[in-house]
Amino acid sequence: MLATTEAEARGVVGASAGTPADSHHLVIRDIIKKYRDLTVLDTLNMAIGKGEIVSLLGPSGCGKTTLLRAIAGLTDTSAGSIKLAGREITRVAAHRRNVGVVFQSYALFPHLTVAENIAFGLKARGAPRAEIPDRVAASLRMVRMTDLADRSITALSGGQQQRVAVARALVVEPELLLLDEPFSALDRKLRETMQVELKSLLRDKGMTAIFVTHDQEEALALSNRIAVMNRGRIEQFADPVTLYEKPATGFVLEFVGLSTRVSGRVTSAADGQVQIETAYGPLQGRGKFAPGASVIAAVRPELISVARDGESGTGNAITIPLQDVMCLGSKTHLYGTARDSDLIVAEISGTAPLAQFTPGQSVALTWPSDSTLVFPAQGQ
Amino acid sequence: MSAEAITASVSQLAPVAKERDRFALLALPGLLYLGILFALPLLILLVKSLINAEGDLSLAGYAAFFSDPFNLSVFWRTLRVALLTTLLSLVLAYPTAFAMVRAGGWILTLMLVAMVLPLSVGVIVKAFSWSIVLRSNGIVNQALMGLGLVDEPVRLLFTETALVFGAANIFLPFMVLPIYAVVRQLDPNLSGAAATLGSGPLRTFLTVTLPLTLPGIIAGVAFVFSLAVSMYVIPSLIVGERHQNLAMMIARAFLFLRNEQLGSVIAVVLLAIATAVVFSSALLLRLVERRQR
Repeated sequence: MLATTEAEARGVVGASAGTPADSHHLVIRDIIKKYRDLTVLDTLNMAIGKGEIVSLLGPSGCGKTTLLRAIAGLTDTSAGSIKLAGREITRVAAHRRNVGVVFQSYALFPHLTVAENIAFGLKARGAPRAEIPDRVAASLRMVRMTDLADRSITALSGGQQQRVAVARALVVEPELLLLDEPFSALDRKLRETMQVELKSLLRDKGMTAIFVTHDQEEALALSNRIAVMNRGRIEQFADPVTLYEKPATGFVLEFVGLSTRVSGRVTSAADGQVQIETAYGPLQGRGKFAPGASVIAAVRPELISVARDGESGTGNAITIPLQDVMCLGSKTHLYGTARDSDLIVAEISGTAPLAQFTPGQSVALTWPSDSTLVFPAQGQ
Repeated sequence: MSAEAITASVSQLAPVAKERDRFALLALPGLLYLGILFALPLLILLVKSLINAEGDLSLAGYAAFFSDPFNLSVFWRTLRVALLTTLLSLVLAYPTAFAMVRAGGWILTLMLVAMVLPLSVGVIVKAFSWSIVLRSNGIVNQALMGLGLVDEPVRLLFTETALVFGAANIFLPFMVLPIYAVVRQLDPNLSGAAATLGSGPLRTFLTVTLPLTLPGIIAGVAFVFSLAVSMYVIPSLIVGERHQNLAMMIARAFLFLRNEQLGSVIAVVLLAIATAVVFSSALLLRLVERRQR
């Protein structure tokens, strides 16, 4: 069971080690989705506990929306199984799954009013007629839309439409709520307000929810755990701190947060330590590689200390002319002149140093070799 | 509404109204053309239908038309054939429109071309090819006999069924295109959204898809019904003189019977039917769209 152990190592299967996966609220096992020759979901595994709020994070085309549609039953899968609350739902029709969806376009019914949109699911599920008005009213109160109950959908703003979409999905009390880039149509300021609002709403309801997003800040803001997806697979499923400090793959490193990364070749390896020859001088890092292997050595920018040329530090050190200095308010990013696809960036807090560093000036960057992450070069 | 509010709303409206006046001028050439060459003759026709042999104004022409059992049977047959043609083309066109939207790409282009190209072939050619298909030694009969389903040719040509099928085929684009235009605008996620809310396929169709595509259906029905109720060439070629409809009666009254009043009366009746269809569909469209605003 190589696949399982690998999956567990990446945190893909269980939230806590040793828990049998079947006790999870949602369990996805070896899901494969193919469109002719194209594999969109590639033997994907995932398990989510009840009440958990997680994000699927990845670039466009990584399969995150397809995974969401497969869970909702809007796309059939080529192989694998999906279990929700202990029930096998892989071949169950979407309207019998009890999985709520908030679509990117919201997909509100334009011929119905706000209240009618919310009542739609209750009527479809055959809720007692007498109950419907009360439940719709409660739902409208929940999203603070009571005054707009009789409005037509087309007369609403983006934020209001999103509230209706959330209310419509939640009023039928689904086992699981899926949200496909729900904030992408909102402007930045409104997005932040709605994120806070939605997160506390889902927490209050104890709702299990999966957000799909390509925006890492959004994923960090919304969820306890983030599944980073790439090419139809989950690269790593972990809490934000683990993703940032211990990225499982080079892809996660690049996709989550900023990093300094340079390509090189392993010259010697011993005791989990490798020596790497790079265009900027030799570096040391942790990892198990054979001598001669092409690798990428990486470090998070805030772990780098910056000194003007001539001064020296311990551990890894490179001296490099500055290409750009970017002030970002509470912190400053210094970009070194890097070759090819390399990126060299160091972060220092505060704005004061701005005057000390100017483009073209040579600086010495140092960081502990223990903080240096080593990954196989892309394509290997 | 307060006085200020009214003035505000009026001053807001005023420039729009002025704008509209100026653009209305653009319609002038078209209006003049239609007025002189179309509305005026129609008016003459209307007057003629109201003048009897003695030159007096009377409704006798209409009374005579509607008291004749033969005329009445033609009247009802015309309506029936138009209705059946409309229904058949609706049944064929509705799924086609969805297939076109789903297909997209070059298949969609191909379907659009296949839909529009026959319009340029002309009604006569198409009606004539239908008569080839349906005649006693035509393709349909040869297939039926080849399969051993019938022993001798079935009479297909010169029947009302053949007319309905032929006419529905010829008018199909006028049903497909307005429905296609509406279906294309639908958010493809709507039916998915309905499903995740617990709505089965039938319920989703009746409560979401059908109401939202109704404007297209109404427009298509209005098009095809008004075309079918006044068709002349198609029944002439597929059914011949055996089957009279209002349009053929008009031609007969003017060309053979030289009875201008009868011809005018039928023309006005036909015009009234078409006008009623167009106006009621426009009214219906407004109602449906107001609900959807």
